[in-house]
Amino acid sequence: MVSILNTIDTGHEDMIHDAEVDYYGLRLATCSSDNSIKIYDIKNGAHMLLEDLKGHFGPVWQIAWGHPKFGNLLASCSYDRKVIIWKEQQGKWSKYYEYANHDSSVNSVQFAPPAYGLILACGSSDGCISVLTYQSETNTWEAKKIQNAHAIGCNAISWSPSITPEPAFDNHQPQTLTKRLVSGGCDNLVKIWREDGDRWVEESKLEVHSDWVRDVAWAPSIGLSRHIIASCSQDRRVIIWTSEDCQTWNSSVMHTFDDVVWNVSWSLNGNILAVSGGDNKVTLWKQNLEGNWQCISDVVKGQGQISGDQRAL
Amino acid sequence: MAVRWSSEFYTAMEHKDLQANAMAVDNTGTYVLLAGRRYIAIKNLDDTDLENVRKFPRQSKYDVSAAEWNPISHQSELCVISSNQRLEVLTWRLGELTQMHSLRAHTRVITDLNWHQSNPNLLASCSVDTFIHIWDMRDPRRPASSLSAIAEASQVRWNRISSNLLATAHDGDVKLWDQRKGSAPVQYIAAHLSKIYGLDWSQQSETQLATSSQDNTIKFFDTNNPRKAEFVLTTNAPVWRARYTPFGNGLVTVVVPQLRRGENSLFLWNTTSRATPVHTFVGHRDVVLEFEWRKQRPGENDFQLVTWSKDQTLLVWRIEPFLQKLCGHDPDNHGKAERMHNEITDVSSEKKVASKIQPLQQEFSLLNVQIPNLEVLKMDAIRRSCTVLANTNNFSVILNVTFPNSYPNGVPPIFQIGEGSSVDETIAGKLIQTLTTTAQQRVSKNRTCLEPCLRQFVVTLEQLVDPSDGSRHHQPVYLESDVLGSFNDACIPFPRTSGAKFCSVSVLVCFTRQSPARRASVKIDSTTPRALSALGNAFNSRRANEYMTVYSYYLQKQRSRIKQNNRVLQKTVITVYDAADLFSVNKQLAEKYILDGDTSKICRHNALMAESIGRWDLVQAWSLARLIVNPQQVEQEDMLEHPFGNQLIQSLINFYATHSDLQMAAMLCCVFGKGEDENVRRKSFLKYLSSGQLASGKKWLKSGGSPYHTIPPADVVADGWVFPLLRTTRSNSLDNLRMEELPQLIPQRTSTSTLYEYYKLAYAEILHRWGLLYNRAEVLKYLSAPGEIHKGVEFLTDCQKCKQPARGSSCLNCKQLSLECVVCHISVRGSANCCLVCGHGGHTKHMQQWFEENNVCPTGCGCKCLLETIGMFNF
Repeated sequence: MVSILNTIDTGHEDMIHDAEVDYYGLRLATCSSDNSIKIYDIKNGAHMLLEDLKGHFGPVWQIAWGHPKFGNLLASCSYDRKVIIWKEQQGKWSKYYEYANHDSSVNSVQFAPPAYGLILACGSSDGCISVLTYQSETNTWEAKKIQNAHAIGCNAISWSPSITPEPAFDNHQPQTLTKRLVSGGCDNLVKIWREDGDRWVEESKLEVHSDWVRDVAWAPSIGLSRHIIASCSQDRRVIIWTSEDCQTWNSSVMHTFDDVVWNVSWSLNGNILAVSGGDNKVTLWKQNLEGNWQCISDVVKGQGQISGDQRAL
Repeated sequence: MAVRWSSEFYTAMEHKDLQANAMAVDNTGTYVLLAGRRYIAIKNLDDTDLENVRKFPRQSKYDVSAAEWNPISHQSELCVISSNQRLEVLTWRLGELTQMHSLRAHTRVITDLNWHQSNPNLLASCSVDTFIHIWDMRDPRRPASSLSAIAEASQVRWNRISSNLLATAHDGDVKLWDQRKGSAPVQYIAAHLSKIYGLDWSQQSETQLATSSQDNTIKFFDTNNPRKAEFVLTTNAPVWRARYTPFGNGLVTVVVPQLRRGENSLFLWNTTSRATPVHTFVGHRDVVLEFEWRKQRPGENDFQLVTWSKDQTLLVWRIEPFLQKLCGHDPDNHGKAERMHNEITDVSSEKKVASKIQPLQQEFSLLNVQIPNLEVLKMDAIRRSCTVLANTNNFSVILNVTFPNSYPNGVPPIFQIGEGSSVDETIAGKLIQTLTTTAQQRVSKNRTCLEPCLRQFVVTLEQLVDPSDGSRHHQPVYLESDVLGSFNDACIPFPRTSGAKFCSVSVLVCFTRQSPARRASVKIDSTTPRALSALGNAFNSRRANEYMTVYSYYLQKQRSRIKQNNRVLQKTVITVYDAADLFSVNKQLAEKYILDGDTSKICRHNALMAESIGRWDLVQAWSLARLIVNPQQVEQEDMLEHPFGNQLIQSLINFYATHSDLQMAAMLCCVFGKGEDENVRRKSFLKYLSSGQLASGKKWLKSGGSPYHTIPPADVVADGWVFPLLRTTRSNSLDNLRMEELPQLIPQRTSTSTLYEYYKLAYAEILHRWGLLYNRAEVLKYLSAPGEIHKGVEFLTDCQKCKQPARGSSCLNCKQLSLECVVCHISVRGSANCCLVCGHGGHTKHMQQWFEENNVCPTGCGCKCLLETIGMFNF
């Protein structure tokens, strides 16, 4: 069973497009078609509006919290072609950095795992992916652009986890971490990008979806040296991609839904996947010991309850 | 012989039994070919006799889907018609129609064909079989080349200017091909979401094309920038054909004939003002099947449009000068402008300058002047300047824009706020800065920038609103095509209105759209659209001045009343779930578990804790773990030495890891991995001793005791990777065995140890997210790899002996302890406190005692350490 911690009437004047809770689970940020971003304190079941951020001139599609070791950061992206990084300083949120070098709506933002430093990736409908790196020496953001990552447009991006149990630990040398990104776009492709020196190169191109890819999510490693990516698409399918070495990827269709699928999200343990889509339903999926994916719960809107079976152990 | 004359059109022919569905006008403008299942008919337009038609019977099962005369004058007697899978090339000579070739290659019905615009021998045809064949009349046996498009093609059109380029329409997409490189399209335009019926290249520009579609729109694309439509013209019915007029900026459209909505008219549009058609051609009594322009006769001012309708009449429409003017073409001035153009060319004697006027002129003519709150006062392409007036929020601002000669190739126009504007200098400065930035962004890509700048100008002005006017702040501008309307929404995904995200450790955040009615089971008739443009289309087909939001989209879909104010009605609710029970990690346990002390004590304690919250499965695991380290409880032989003890732990860890119980896996790793870092270090030490000396190394290790010694050597204790407790009773050759095995065992252990390291790290992160910092630190202590080196402010002390800065408690140079306590004058090893101002300090305890009574530095240097330090932190 899953219990409700909190129900928040956000008071947004239009549809909500994304919501995320921060690293510690204490604050909730939401964004909406009314061009605003709201931040709530949800500690102990409270819901107090902390801030109403206005700075975008179009619907805000997605938001992402930064790791607290860099301060309280929130990134947002919008139809107005801008990415804004907001920072809390002395209890006040303000614009920290604005990136406006995309030619079309920016659809996805995500901060890199903190081990890589303060890095933000964003994907836009102009087909490009930008990787913004904070340079603490000069207090500036350096932008690298992957041109034409997806024909027509990039809809989603996700970073690979930084802590993976790869056999490089034993020699006490500080490990050089390979940064990887996964992206999905209107060309029906899922692509894996690897940072190679100062460039980003396309490592793999995964071609199974038959319509626009709407979301991708790279799972946190769950203790097996294996990479897992979930992708969902307009073709109503969720596909799970697995790989041992990031070179060859195997795909399996997790499920075909009744309507388009918009959203996939892994739990921190990497064993449960939350899926939502155009049919207004949220479902949770888990792999059983035989390797099949099972729906363990269903959130029916309005009921506010998730009925699921017991924890699996 | 009753020609029905009207001011606008005349009937050229009326013939009931032709049943033609394809029509073509020849290059000379004299003959019209009408083709149907039963007849091919040729009509001379100059012949005013309605009945005088040459008919050639054509006994065929198939309709003619397309027909076209060769557009090149010396081959103008050639025409081609399509008949199912074949193309028939006919010659019209001396009143006789003879078949020249029959072109066969397509395997399915041919949908469209088009002669090359400059080479009389080339013909392109496209078909449902997905191929586009290019034929050469000199070798009609097979296609000269074939383009494979994967999707079936509905239209094919050669570019009117570039001889190698052709465009094909496939459902909602347009593909551009270069006939020299037929393997793949050179461009791909995702033009519409619905089927494209018509495709036409601009008469003047090589890069402009227009598509007409089922979705009621006509889109105009620039092939240099195919990502977004340059502009969209919206009608109230699906558009069958949209063709550029041979003059001005006009465009003629007809609705899809199959629909028979009672709309039998053709529409003439001016592409620069796209709100309504500038003229409607009314006259046909049934739907228009085909229309074509007749070649302009020398000396005539009129253009003529020939139309063929299902009512079996052929009408010829005169496009009189006033209509041409409506399309931005001035027949009177045309000559004048040309003359002027020539003059300029003469004066400058440099053709380049003159040709540069052209893009500016074009930009002016393409400018959509219907920007709210903006009025264009003057546009002068010759002087390269433009003046506009914006009226908004009680501001009235005149803006002068001057275009330098090299604009738009990297050079932005110059903006000036004109006299009589009601803004002060700071605002004017701000405005100009914004405009220059906008312009710079565009011209850096060699794009024109006037329209975006003007829109930006109005928007910036609107944002200058005094804050009291609060009602304005929320405007869903994006759908109203204000600033951002030029985007091609077809490429932007349809907004998510529901979502679920796992955040932090076990928080699940969900939001969904609220169904307006309580009926949750409204059946959704179609799947959700993929692109944002779905909103725009739904919006455009409705009324013009109402915002279409995602919300109202769904409302409309459910056919509810939309009378209510959208924004009041909806509630945007987010639900935060605690999904902790779905996961095996438990915060309570994390708080209660201990990692400090004797292994068996840890196991006992943790088993109790698991019991206290009812996790019986974990109680068992901890009890089992305790048995492994506490052999006294088992009657049998010592489990540690038991070959299964080690494996049991490993498989336990493995089990919990594969079940995503990172907490248990990491805890076990910590508890039983105590000796491991020791182990790794030993390994490196062994390596250091060099492999050649391994034997002696072994000897050294063994030196703690003989193989028969009854007391185990201390090294061996440290060696045991997991087991802090070793049997103390018997000893046999097992000790030696372990020693021998050591080199082989290590690699195997380290491969798993990387996994174990990972479990600890991952669990530490979970603890961090829970805010259990103490517990996290305890877990991190068990990491064999050092944690990340602290970056940031760090305090260094200068060594008192050698005056070098020293990190840590002892100086690297002289190996002396670096800090001496100012109270007891003994070097400090443990925790120390120093004044940040005078630098004096010492043992924390001593400093604490001192400053309880005093507030000046114990050395007597006079520094008021406490106050000063506080002052520093306030800074």
